[in-house]
Amino acid sequence: MNRGEVVSGVALAALGGYIVSEAARWEYLGPDGPGPGFFPLWYGAVMIVLSAVLVVQNFLAKATVAGRPVNWREVGRVLIVWAGFVVSVALLKVLGFILSFGLFVLFVVAGMYRRPLRVAISVAVGCAAGFYLVFPFALDVRLPIGVLGF
Amino acid sequence: MEIFSGLLHGFAVALTPANIMWCFVGCFLGTIVGILPGLGPPATIAMLLPLTFLMNPTSAVIMLAGIYYGAKYGGSTTSILLNVPGESASVVTCLDGYQMARNGRGGAALGIAAIASFVAGTFGVIMLMLVAPPLAKFALQFSSPEYFALMCMGLAMVVLLAGKSILKAFLAMLVGLWMAGMGTDLFTAQSRFTFGQADLLDGIAFVIVAIGVFAIGEVLGNMETREGVPMLPVPKGLRNLLPNMEELKACRFAFLNGSVIGFIIGILPGAGSTIASFISYGIEKAVSRRPEKFGTGVPEGVAAPEGANNAETGGALVPMLTLGIPGSGTTAILLAAFVLWGLKPGPLMIQENPELFWGLVASMYIGNVILLIMNIPLIPLFAQILKLPLYILYPIIFGIGMVGVYSVSDSLFDLSLLTFFGLLGYAMRKLDYPQAPLILGMVLGDAMERALRQSLMMSQGDLSILVSRPLSAGMLVITAVILIVPVFRRVNALRLKAID
Amino acid sequence: MEEKARVHKEVGRVKENMFRIAAHGAITRRPAPGVRFMGVLAGILTLTMAATGSPPVVAQGFTPTRPIEFVVHTGPGGGNDLLARAISSIVEKEKLLPVRMQVTNKPGGGGIKAMAYMNEKKGEDHTIALFANTWFNGPLMSKEARVTMNELTPIVRLVTEPGVVVVKSDSPYKTLKDFIEDAKKRPGELKQSGGSIGSRDNIVRNLLMLNTGANWAFISFPGGGERLAALLGGHVQVMFMDPQEAGDRLRDGTLRLIAQVAEKRIAAFPDLPTIQEFGYNIPNYVTLRGVVGPPEMPAEALKFWESFFMKLRNSPGWKKHLKDNLFEDGFMTTAEVQKFAKEHPASVRDMLKAAGIKTYR
Repeated sequence: MNRGEVVSGVALAALGGYIVSEAARWEYLGPDGPGPGFFPLWYGAVMIVLSAVLVVQNFLAKATVAGRPVNWREVGRVLIVWAGFVVSVALLKVLGFILSFGLFVLFVVAGMYRRPLRVAISVAVGCAAGFYLVFPFALDVRLPIGVLGF
Repeated sequence: MEIFSGLLHGFAVALTPANIMWCFVGCFLGTIVGILPGLGPPATIAMLLPLTFLMNPTSAVIMLAGIYYGAKYGGSTTSILLNVPGESASVVTCLDGYQMARNGRGGAALGIAAIASFVAGTFGVIMLMLVAPPLAKFALQFSSPEYFALMCMGLAMVVLLAGKSILKAFLAMLVGLWMAGMGTDLFTAQSRFTFGQADLLDGIAFVIVAIGVFAIGEVLGNMETREGVPMLPVPKGLRNLLPNMEELKACRFAFLNGSVIGFIIGILPGAGSTIASFISYGIEKAVSRRPEKFGTGVPEGVAAPEGANNAETGGALVPMLTLGIPGSGTTAILLAAFVLWGLKPGPLMIQENPELFWGLVASMYIGNVILLIMNIPLIPLFAQILKLPLYILYPIIFGIGMVGVYSVSDSLFDLSLLTFFGLLGYAMRKLDYPQAPLILGMVLGDAMERALRQSLMMSQGDLSILVSRPLSAGMLVITAVILIVPVFRRVNALRLKAID
Repeated sequence: MEEKARVHKEVGRVKENMFRIAAHGAITRRPAPGVRFMGVLAGILTLTMAATGSPPVVAQGFTPTRPIEFVVHTGPGGGNDLLARAISSIVEKEKLLPVRMQVTNKPGGGGIKAMAYMNEKKGEDHTIALFANTWFNGPLMSKEARVTMNELTPIVRLVTEPGVVVVKSDSPYKTLKDFIEDAKKRPGELKQSGGSIGSRDNIVRNLLMLNTGANWAFISFPGGGERLAALLGGHVQVMFMDPQEAGDRLRDGTLRLIAQVAEKRIAAFPDLPTIQEFGYNIPNYVTLRGVVGPPEMPAEALKFWESFFMKLRNSPGWKKHLKDNLFEDGFMTTAEVQKFAKEHPASVRDMLKAAGIKTYR
């Protein structure tokens, strides 16, 4: 039994249930033809069936076909990086892209890759400057602007 | 004979110094726009439109068309090097292109993409020139039931994109269908799955999901440990950066496959290059002698979708020029430009504006050569990016992803969605759900639902409309075959095991 | 000789254009990066852009000092986008403003995103938007909408756009009446291709069906190309079109016009009867476009923009644009358009209701 498959299967079944319950509130067949509820009802139902098969399959399978063991340390590390990414996106509105991205780079290089602070700062400044020069400056691509005006 | 003299005349137009230069300018801008994720040709053409009123229409058409097909050349670059799909059609290129780059064949993958683009782009122009008017009539035969069947055929490709578990591939595809259905329903203005958010009224832009699930998810996965490969292998020497004979040989069929599929799907106004690249990749894998290697970095897995993507350009110009029917965002704005110049695409176009039509066709031959010559020297330059230490490369990928998503509609909400899809991509990787089917469902879901509902409106609810028309019936049969064969194979394998 | 000179001139223009592309990025979007950069360096929040030679239109209290943000609710190539870009290039060509007008695309939700964006710009005087019917219809039809035209500041109405009803050239229907009579005989069998449910196509269809008792299906296609392909392929029998596009089609013989949707016959089609002339007594649904400002736009700015658009209306470039596109001049001053914007939603609501479309406010 693969725990990951069981958990994701249950989650997908729940999503399917949500889709079906929403779709049931919309018109299934209108005067001109199928309504907005027609298609979601069907793929929602198929989703429930297939995820149920996935879960049942796992309960029937022999214990020997266990999935890869999860290394939670690695997952934790990824979640920290991701949290950093989320924070930098959340800061865009206040700090603007250049600053917030620079801080994210600093966090990754110094925090996650443990490079010396001197290296990390120069990489962060270099990346931020490079992005500024390539996108808004040379190519006129708009980037989020913070309260400081850049 | 008429074609021959027309083409000669066209070359006389396209080979004037001014027009060669405009062609070059268009190709150059197109390449840049293609390389940048998010920034697409429609926006670029719209921005340059006011400028073109100062030019003579033929030169303007030559330049704008150059942007259109030039962008397709550039689109593969970030897909191959960074797993960041620059545009929707390049998603398929990520599958094998990025793996090639990881195997140290990034330069070769870029070279193959350029060559496939050249071959297929040229094929598209030849076909545009030879068979435009009759093919345009064929495109009109295609109506909603046929589009529904085509989308089914596209979705059936999911069995070919599946990894170990077909079941999981289907589930990923269904999630894609769900996301495709978000937003305002065209037919009834009912808003679906918007969670009360005005930002979701138009659904989720495809680029956000593609960049999140492919690029961000992949990078997150690679950051699990601090160690890992310090640097991706990049071979030294120009010769080792370009595709070798063996790789080119493996692509022979893919060039043809991509060209033909791309062109045929291109002439259908409601289809688009993304489905073309998915289908040609599926076909390539289905007929391959080594299907199990697909997804690990085979050159034909790059050549087929890239070819299809480029041949689509020639195809899409068929209904646009001969019927005045645009099939995509880019052709729609090209058409708008034509009208603003006082040109009238339609059945009379070739007779009334021979200089323009043939000049455009000839310039596309020239443009494809220019693009090939321009792209090959760029390969070693782009390959340098892989030499960056990973702790610099990874944040850069985050940054490019953010810029790409933001440039779609300047929305911070989209960026918060990107963080969500990045995590989803990582989770899918950990749980062994293939990502490509999710994208496939998302691209086709909307068009499929629409075609089904249009068909049933046309037939007043009679389902037989889907099978009573020869074209759609034929495609549905192919769909069934694609779906049944792997199941049959699996059952057969089980039986053989039982006999053992 | 002449040819050579022309080529030469063109090359010169390219250089100039390439320079502009290099300097401004892509022309009409934003201030030149250099300008912004300097602004940042100087620590100034408001960017000032040197006026490029020409004096402002009117000097009464308000003069634009930085590029104007011109918001449209469609993506590049949409109807309002093209009109906004046309206005921006007329303004540039005829030097009607001391600064440039930059088109900003805020597509989404049929105008709802653009309206929300305008609402955020409260009190702003350098941001204006081009509105269309969907700015009235959209909020009525959408639960998610938070902003209506009532919150914004209408400035002027610019154009009204007539429409035409077309069939394929080998169709048996010579007039709208033929089509409606046939639809009465075969209820539900005939089809019309069109856009979304709240579009003029569907509203006029519903009004016609109510008035005549006929019944035919409406099939939505997202793109104009697909709509037309469905008609030319014979999969649907009738559709609505812009007169300008229909004129081209008429010429190459692929289509036939069977009625026009207009208050009175437009100059381009003097022989084509309007729907009402066939005796179908339905209200005329007007397609309109105009300019709107953010909430609480300063009074001087409002005045400035009104007189600016009056000036635009009298410019040769604008007159030519109307003529080329077969738009009608539907100009309304600020006072008129504000009155109109108060009354219009009620009549739209009635029409949507009559068309069987759900309204939320």
